[in-house]
Formats: sequence, structure tokens, C-alpha cells
Amino acid sequence: MTEIASPATNIATGATDARVVGGSRSVGYLVGALCLAIIALMLAPLVLSFLASLKPPAEAAAVPPQYLPRSLSLANYQTVANYQAGLWTYVANSLVVATLTILFCLALAVPAGYALARYAIPFKEVFFLLILASMMIPYQAMLTPLYLMFSTLKLTNTHVGLAIVHTILQLPFSVYLMRNSFEGIPRELEEAAVMDGCSSLQILRRVFLPLVLPGMVTVSLFAFIMSWNEFIAALIFMSRETSFTVPVMLTGVSTGIFGVVDWGALQAGVIVSVVPCIGVYLLLQRYYVSGLLSGAVK
Amino acid sequence: MRRSKTLAVALPLVAAGLTAMMTTTAFAQNLSMWVRESAADPGQLMVDLWNQTHEAQIELTAIPDNQLVTKLATSVRAGDAPDLISFDLIYMPDFMRAGFLADLTDQLSSDPNYETHVEAYKDIATYEDRIYGVGFTPDVSILVWNKELFREAGLDPDVPPKTIYEIHEMATQIGALGDDTYGFYFAGSCPGCNIFVTSPLMVAGGAHILPRNGEDAALEGEAVRVVLDEYRMMWEEGLIPESAEVDAGENFVSAFTAGNIGIAGSGGFLLSLMERQFPEFDYGVGLLPGLEEGQVSAFVGGDVVAIPTGGANEEVAREFVTWVLSDEAQLEGLAKNAILTTRTDLADNEYFAGNEKVQKTAEALAVGYVPWVFHFADMVNSDSSPWINMLQQAIFDGDVDGAIEEARARMLQIASE
Amino acid sequence: MLATNNKYVGLLYLSPALLFVAVFVLYPLVQLVMISMTSESLLGGGEFVWFDNYLLAFSDRSFWTSFWFTVRYTLIITPILMVLGFLLALLTMQNRALNQIARGVVFLPVVIGLASSSLLWVWLFDQQVGLLNKALVDVGAIEQPMVWFNRAHLGMTAVIVSVVWKVVGFGMIIMLSGMQSISHEIVEASMIDGATYWQRVRRIILPLSARAILLATLISAIGSMLAFDQFYLMTGGAPRGQTFTSVYWIYQNSFVYFKLGYGSALSVILMVVIMAGAALQIALQRRGESA
Repeated sequence: MTEIASPATNIATGATDARVVGGSRSVGYLVGALCLAIIALMLAPLVLSFLASLKPPAEAAAVPPQYLPRSLSLANYQTVANYQAGLWTYVANSLVVATLTILFCLALAVPAGYALARYAIPFKEVFFLLILASMMIPYQAMLTPLYLMFSTLKLTNTHVGLAIVHTILQLPFSVYLMRNSFEGIPRELEEAAVMDGCSSLQILRRVFLPLVLPGMVTVSLFAFIMSWNEFIAALIFMSRETSFTVPVMLTGVSTGIFGVVDWGALQAGVIVSVVPCIGVYLLLQRYYVSGLLSGAVK
Repeated sequence: MRRSKTLAVALPLVAAGLTAMMTTTAFAQNLSMWVRESAADPGQLMVDLWNQTHEAQIELTAIPDNQLVTKLATSVRAGDAPDLISFDLIYMPDFMRAGFLADLTDQLSSDPNYETHVEAYKDIATYEDRIYGVGFTPDVSILVWNKELFREAGLDPDVPPKTIYEIHEMATQIGALGDDTYGFYFAGSCPGCNIFVTSPLMVAGGAHILPRNGEDAALEGEAVRVVLDEYRMMWEEGLIPESAEVDAGENFVSAFTAGNIGIAGSGGFLLSLMERQFPEFDYGVGLLPGLEEGQVSAFVGGDVVAIPTGGANEEVAREFVTWVLSDEAQLEGLAKNAILTTRTDLADNEYFAGNEKVQKTAEALAVGYVPWVFHFADMVNSDSSPWINMLQQAIFDGDVDGAIEEARARMLQIASE
Repeated sequence: MLATNNKYVGLLYLSPALLFVAVFVLYPLVQLVMISMTSESLLGGGEFVWFDNYLLAFSDRSFWTSFWFTVRYTLIITPILMVLGFLLALLTMQNRALNQIARGVVFLPVVIGLASSSLLWVWLFDQQVGLLNKALVDVGAIEQPMVWFNRAHLGMTAVIVSVVWKVVGFGMIIMLSGMQSISHEIVEASMIDGATYWQRVRRIILPLSARAILLATLISAIGSMLAFDQFYLMTGGAPRGQTFTSVYWIYQNSFVYFKLGYGSALSVILMVVIMAGAALQIALQRRGESA
């Protein structure tokens, strides 16, 4: 396994010796109580939102509000499901864009990471910095020229177009991650493959890919979460109601008529938009946090 | 060899192109139409009526208000606009000048129904003598007063204020009723609300508010100063609730329906809202007055319908525009649903008969104005516009003359862009 | 001799990414600068105007209001995020189950979209149906539910609360990694010296995780300078345009007032400011390290 998934940087098994902190039993209780309080505080908004989404619409709009629902109903989810072109259209759009973003990122970052980690290329550092530098450019500033360019290329309102924008955002980090992944592989493995007469592409496919798979999972995970959540580019590039993504749909739900917002439906929408991210995070937690750290600490 | 290869590539391309064209025509029966969210309900009523009686079906999509014009502009640029659009009439000049809308002059100038179309809509949808749209779902500002409070204050509940000075006088009497009762209300941080209900007071008094270009008059006329000054005095005398200063529109409607406000500006939409939510509320509807008795005005708002250029279904879209002005659409689509008609000759119809309030509102529509300017969003609607800054500086900070002067300079600067 | 030493093969592998960056980053960047020197409108049309937009920007009060608002927002939220992130990292450093759960839960909102979290908090803060208002009334912090988004400072407070909830876990994780890389020998040596817990934190943990802290600061400061979603969805710029951030004002000019040319000039200015700020911070960090 590469350094990316090393246990020292794993959120679930964060391995720090208790002695670093030290402290007596009473301090231990205090720490425990604080942890519980923080868990409650951090979870409260999501739990309250979830409960509100299960209230019948009239109850969700009641003034003053109640913390807990008195009766349960799925009516808010039905409202969201039938919102304009229908929730599934938006979920499908978001999924397609996210999938394309993942594919683009992998297609570009895997070979680039391989090249940067393993090849002697002239101006390698310059190229690497060039790719990373786009991380420093406020992407919101780029939306205008990109928009004009995409409207000439007929890429506005297309999944591919938005996926390209999301790839722009995610590429630097992806290349960085993949380079680190490839660097973590021992050279001996590669040499052995060369001895066996493998070509460069064969080495990449047979030797490296299985080993950098964790890195690729991390890249995909980040690309998915970023793309699923991204708002301003989706807002500008997708102007047809059938091409909206989930966050854009959410803002539609949130604007009511003369300030009359359907709060229950809005919270149902929030929950729908949040669940995939939380699910993916909980499933692939180790990849997420390790990826974040390998990008951060070096 | 080479030729056959080219052919092999070209043939499927042509085939694909043909299929694409065929599928386009196959779907041509369905028209797409955008409407801003806050006008979606009346828009849907109209579209439903059309769909019942026509073969070509229209699919309506509601777009959040603050995104509609952006989406429209970007979609036209990307060649991806809907067949029909219903949007805030105030953006008409910008879109007409940009050449985004189909010219409807030929079909409308020969249409007898267009002759009785509300003047304000004709005005806003005409650019260099060409017509680009018609009023779709109208709205107009009115004056409302709480008859219950009028009675308590010893005022005649059937006689509304006829000048801005009378508004102030009556507000004083109502304000004297108690700590929780106020004579007047306006949403002090809401630029849109005030161009809707405050600017007509100035216009009725003979003022010219917004400049059409850098050389035009801006905030010209005594009435601008008088109205601001009367507002300022009412504010300083405590006749307006303190919460008004920060109201960005949230309480524009609910402040009056709460029942402790004597007089306020409002819109035609209030009528149906009252009927649904507060059927017992005893209030009167009148026209927004000016400086002298007999001076009245209103701000004509609501949506216009127009056709973005380059749509595949322009023929049917044009039919729809003509249909909007027909007796059927006006009476069965609008009047029947308690929405104002956009033709003045139909304002007196069976559905409005006996409803004094609706008739009064229709009257306001006929006398109302709409400012024909570019950059309306920049000049008025934005949260940092010269319009809202002027109101706040004059009324809450007390500097009426300075406020007008500053706003005038900025308006002219924006207009000259 | 490894096959991987052939530099042309390497360049071939790298070329797709480079091409992508050239087409979708460098080219638009050049375009951005070009558009910033025109009066291009979203509705079409426009001509070359040299530096008019830049000159206009320097006298545009609204732009500077939004700019300083953004700076103020950044200066307030960044220390909050760093201090809370550091304290949370300290608290959850140990490897006990409860600490781990707390760590996971604090990090949870980081994966949620900013749009979703903003709309969640708009609801919590709502005067009529907001449960946060109710909770504050119930504990006696305020007398009655209040409107949060019609005063600039209250609106900013509400946004900061929501953003802190959403991203505090990010700083925590980065600082945690910094702390975890501290060698045990150093800590043990100090314990033998009889240093108290807070002395150890101040003398050992804090300086040795300085690099992680600086990195987290840089990332959150850039993120805050580019804030858009949370203000667009929570305050809408109200009241009186006092809560427009720079990016929001650029969006407003480009896509609501249709002034693409002017908006692009503002973008260029903002970009230069942020890159200068980041360069300064990195330079300071380098100097601090070499000293």
C-alpha cells in the first residue's frame, strides 16, 4: 500500500499515542463530555433538517416551529420528487456530470501522474507547477471566458461541458494525488517488469494500475463530491430546467412566491442532496481523509 | 480508396444529421416556455387554457426570479433559448436593443385587439417603432387603506387620501390611536417595492424619475422632493413602524395584513391573497395620488410575453402571442381567475361586475406608467442602486436634497453606459 | 536502463493534461484579460476600451464596499476556523472510540455542498420557522425570534456560523496530521521535564504543527476571499448591498447587469490581489522555516 493510505493519516484509526496528550482520569471524563457535546452540536442541524423533512407540509410551515414532528409524512419528498422536471432528472444530471468528471480526471491525471513520477521530462517541474497553478486562480473569475467559449462550442447546457468545468477545478489536485501514488511504488517492481520485456503501456496497466488503485479511488471520490456539490458553474452553464443539477434545483425550491417558501420541501431537498455525499464519505472514509492529507501535508 | 473512405465517414454523418432534423420536427409540436417563479401561477392558468384548445402544447418552466434574465441572456447567446418567454417587463428595453427578440410588428399592428391593449405594455414593448411583445400576466400598484382603523380614528372609511399631504394627515390621526398602530408603511430596504408603490406618487405629481440616456432628465420635478420629505416627516414622527427601515420586502405584504397599518401602497396581487387568507379584512382600494387632488398614477408591472429569436417553433409561438390578446384568453384565462385583463375594453366584464376593488385596480392599470430605460436592474432593482440609496438617505438619514442630487448623478452615469 | 527513461514517452503521457490546461485554463485566462479591456455585454456587442474598466473599478464604491466586506469576512472567519480547528484537533487527538467518532462527525459537514448547507441554515435562522431562533429563545439568549438577514453584521454572523459548522472539520484534519507527525521522543522528554499539558501544547505542539496551521490558514483564507454560494443563498446581498462579496459583485455585474467586460476587469483585479496575498503568505512561511 502506498503512503497515501498510511494509517497515520487515517481518520478512523488516527494513531497518536495517548501519552502525547496525557492527563488523569478526570481529564479523560471531561474530554469525553466535550466530545459528546461536540457530536451533538455538529449533528443537530442535520438531524433537525431530517426530522423537519418528515413533517407533514403544514406542520413544517407552522409558526412557531416544533423540534420534533408530531406526525410523520413523506409528502415533502413527494413535492421534491415532482418539482418541475422531476427530482430524478436532476439527480440523473448530477450523476452523469459527476461520472464524466471522474472519468476525465482519471484519464488525464493517471498518465500525467505516471509521467511526473517516473519519467525524466524536460521542464518537468515547470509543467507540474503549471498544472498546480490553476488551483490558485479563482475559478469564478474564469467562468465568463469559459462561458463564451462553451457557447461557441455548443457546450453550454451539456453534461460534457459542465463536466469539463468541474475537471478544471479538480485536475490539479488529482494530478498531485496520482503523482504521489506513483512515487510510492518501489522501483524494483518496475525493473522486474522491464526485465520480462513489458512495454511502457503494459507496465502501466499490469504493474502500476493495481497498485495505484487506492489513489484512483481517492481521486474519484473527491471528483464526485466536488461535482455533486458545485453550484455557481452549474448555475451559469445549465440554463434549461431539464439540465439543472441538484444544487441548482435546490435554489429553485428555495424561492417561493412573495416569500412563501415551502420549508418542508426545501429540507427534503437538502436531505436528498446531502445523503449521497454522506453515504460515499462513510463508505470510503479512509480514502477521503488520506487523500486530503496527502494533498495537504507535503 | 481515399474517396471511399471519405464517403464512409460522410454517409453516417449525413444520416445522423437527417435523423436529428427529423426528430426535431417530430418534437416541434411541443413548445417550451419560461416564466419567472413569482408569475408562474397566472402563467400556468393561461398556458393550461391554451393547451386545452390547441394542438401544439406548451410546456411551462418556472425559473427563480433572480436567475431568469441571466438564463435568458445566456441561452440566447448559446442559441438554446425557449420558444416563448414571460419575464419582468422592465427588462424589455435591454433585450429589444440587443436584438434578442423576434419582431412582432406586422402581426400586431394589424390586430384590432392590440389597439385596446394597455398603453404601458405597448410602450415598454416598443423600440424604434417596432413591437416585440405584449403584456401577459399584469400587475399594477394601488393604494390600500384599513377601513377599520379609519373608523376608529374618526375618518370616513370610504374616502381615501387624495394627495401625499392627505396621506400624512390621515396617518397622523391613525397613528394617534395607540402605540401599536401606525399611520403608514413602506418597505424601506426594498428597491423593487418602492419603484412599484412610491415612484407613482412622484410621477402623479408630475415628476420624471428614471433617465433614458445620459442626457435625459433624472429625478426631475418638485414631487420627488415633496414625496421624500413627507415620508421623512412621517418617519421622524413615528407614524411608520421602525421595522420598516430594514424591510427588504419580507413584510411588504404582511405588514398591512397584520391590521395595525392605516395606509400603504400595494399591488393588485393583494386582492386574491386577501380573498384567500383574510376574507374578513375590511380595506379599501384606490389609486396612488400626487401633490394635488385629481393627480393619480400607478406602476404597471407584471410579465410580458415575447419570442426569443432563432426558435424552431416561431410560427406557433406567434400564434400564442396573438391568442394572449384574444377575448378567450383575456376573459377565460385572466378575468375568470380574478386576474386583470390587459385589454382596456374588456376591463368591464361579467367576472369583475360588482367587484369594486378589481375595477379600481383595472383603472390603475389604464392610467399607470412604466419607465422605459436600459439598465433598470443597475439603476433601481439592485440592493445598492441609486434609487434605494436615495430613499434611505433622504428618509432615514434626513438629507433629502443631498440624496436626490447624489442619486441623480449616479443614475445619469448608469444611463450613459 | 528503464523503459521509463524515454523522455518523449513521458511527455506523451503528460500531454493530455497539459493540453487540457492550455485549452481550458490558459486560453480562457488570456481571454479574460482581453475581455476586461472591452465593453462586452452579456447581451452581445462591445468594443475595445483599453483600461477604462480598470479605471472605473477604482472609483466604483460598490466594488470596494464588496471588496472590503470580503476582506472583513475573511479576517473574522479565518481565525475562528483556525482556533476552533486547532482545539478540536487537540481534543480528538487521542485514539479512543469517542474521540474518533467526534472526529468523524466534525468532519462530516465538509463533504456536504455549500449550497445545501447554506439552505439548511437559512431555514434554521428563519424568523418564523427557524429552529435556531426557537432554541435561542428557549435558552433565554434572545427575547423573541429575530430576523437575521436584514442587518449586515447579523447576516454576516449567520453566514459565519453556518460556514464554521461546515468547514471547521477541514482545518481540524490538517492540523491533526501535523500533530500526529510530531515525534514521541520530544513529547516524552518534555513530560519528564514536568511540563503541564498547556505548556506542552504551547511549546511543542503549536510550533511543530505551525506548517499545517499555515497551510490550513492559506486554504481557508483563499476560500473565504472567493466566498459566493453562502452569501448568494443566505443574504442575497441585502441589506443595501452591504453583504455583497467580491465574487458576488462580479457575478452581479457580469450576469445580472450584463456587463461582462467590467466584470472581467474586476475578476482580474481580484485574482491579482489573491495571488499576491498567497505569494506573500508563502514567502513569509518560507522565511519562517529557514530562520
